[in-house]
Amino acid sequence: MIQETGSTMYSGVIRFYSLNDVRKYLKELLEKYQREYDRSSNVIGSLLRTEGGKGMEVIMSKGWAKVGSMFVNVSDPEKGGMEVTFQMVTEMKPRISKTEEVLKTFESVEGLPIEPDSTFLLYLHGGIPERLVIDSTEGRPELFNYKGDYDTV
Amino acid sequence: MLDVAVLLDTVDAVRLSDKMNENSQSNYSLNVSLSEKDRTAEALVLSFSLELTSQPQAAKFKVSGTATLKGTKEEIKEEITAPDEKKPPPILVTVYERVYSTLYVLAGSLKVPHPMPNLLKKTS
Repeated sequence: MIQETGSTMYSGVIRFYSLNDVRKYLKELLEKYQREYDRSSNVIGSLLRTEGGKGMEVIMSKGWAKVGSMFVNVSDPEKGGMEVTFQMVTEMKPRISKTEEVLKTFESVEGLPIEPDSTFLLYLHGGIPERLVIDSTEGRPELFNYKGDYDTV
Repeated sequence: MLDVAVLLDTVDAVRLSDKMNENSQSNYSLNVSLSEKDRTAEALVLSFSLELTSQPQAAKFKVSGTATLKGTKEEIKEEITAPDEKKPPPILVTVYERVYSTLYVLAGSLKVPHPMPNLLKKTS
């Protein structure tokens, strides 16, 4: 499977060993969303400019038919592709603004009284960071350092 | 499944004697250091440094770099834990295997004895 466009909107729980790692992850996540948003909206913007004056009809296909429980487009792949890309871009806006908001207010999380050995469980729902569990029951693994002397045989 | 990526940062090789050649009898001692550079729940990045010195003196090799382990917590733990005191942790074996071809080529270029491919822990 090759992903044509869009980000994988991950739902799941990720464990981090420091709040700094959580912040770094959120920053990278936001950058990824913004890159994808810019890329996809540029494609749509450029098409709308090329077809100047025609408005949204340029990306709205009439070739959809309901097959089973899905809408399928066999007659108008170009517009159909544009329409779903437009839909994806529209859905990305709230995802970006929510992630931005979480990052902007992350200082208040960092200001909480947190036990030194805590780890952090971040819950992402459809790519949006929704909840953070501060886990003082499972600490970070001991720092790994190893030194040794060997013969090659 | 655990994935290990080994990246060399520096390679240093010195011939120490004119009297030695590839067929001379020589054993290599290895001094190794592995240290944690970064860790997440799914990855561990280690800095490594391997220093090989031959006895009698023929050559000295020093390689350093990073090893990135990606896998579950359990897989990573298993990889950095020696099965017993006499054996190296699996990650050391993996790193040595990955850099061995470089060491082998360097020894050939310097015309000094080749290091052997396996590791035996020195008893103190």
